[in-house]
Amino acid sequence: MGEIKWERDFSEALAKAKKTGKPIYHDFWFDG
Amino acid sequence: MNAGPYSDEKVQKFIEEEFIPLKSQCFFDKRTELMKKFDIKWTPTFLIHDSEGKEHYRFVGFVPFDDFLAHLTFGKGMIFFNHYRYAEAIDRFNAVIEQHPNAGVTPQAIYYLGVAGYLKTHDAKELRRVYDTLTSKYPQSEWARRSQPYSQIALEEPALSAAK
Repeated sequence: MGEIKWERDFSEALAKAKKTGKPIYHDFWFDG
Repeated sequence: MNAGPYSDEKVQKFIEEEFIPLKSQCFFDKRTELMKKFDIKWTPTFLIHDSEGKEHYRFVGFVPFDDFLAHLTFGKGMIFFNHYRYAEAIDRFNAVIEQHPNAGVTPQAIYYLGVAGYLKTHDAKELRRVYDTLTSKYPQSEWARRSQPYSQIALEEPALSAAK
């Protein structure tokens, strides 16, 4: 089973989104 | 680690192919700048941004995987809808309705399918069909109640009725 390759930095994700035209799926999570 | 819906291969494939996936950790004792920027009050919170970073859709709390895929597809539809790209929005809303008929967001997809159809064609019957579909298939949903004003829009008389 594969794994999702997550971005961890919003600016870097935004740069990739602008380059590819893809939207961003953004998961805000809490490790309680 | 990919837990919850992320352990499902369909979810993984969909996210990888359709989105730039981004995770941001939250700290409630010391809110991060991103938590402040996007007004995050609870976790998990999931946002769908367009490629310029503007938020178009969010959902909050644990979501089972079928609902999860429905939310992601609907969120993409809302990006197209908000950018006046109605044909592409309609494709995404139809995908939610056809592939996830039991998902919680599906009545909302039916509502927006009708709105996008109306805005694309200027045919008010698109809105009446929303009311008919929601009241027959999802009568308990809030979206059925929201569509109530469209019940006044007339559909064309069927040929058999006109022949009476």
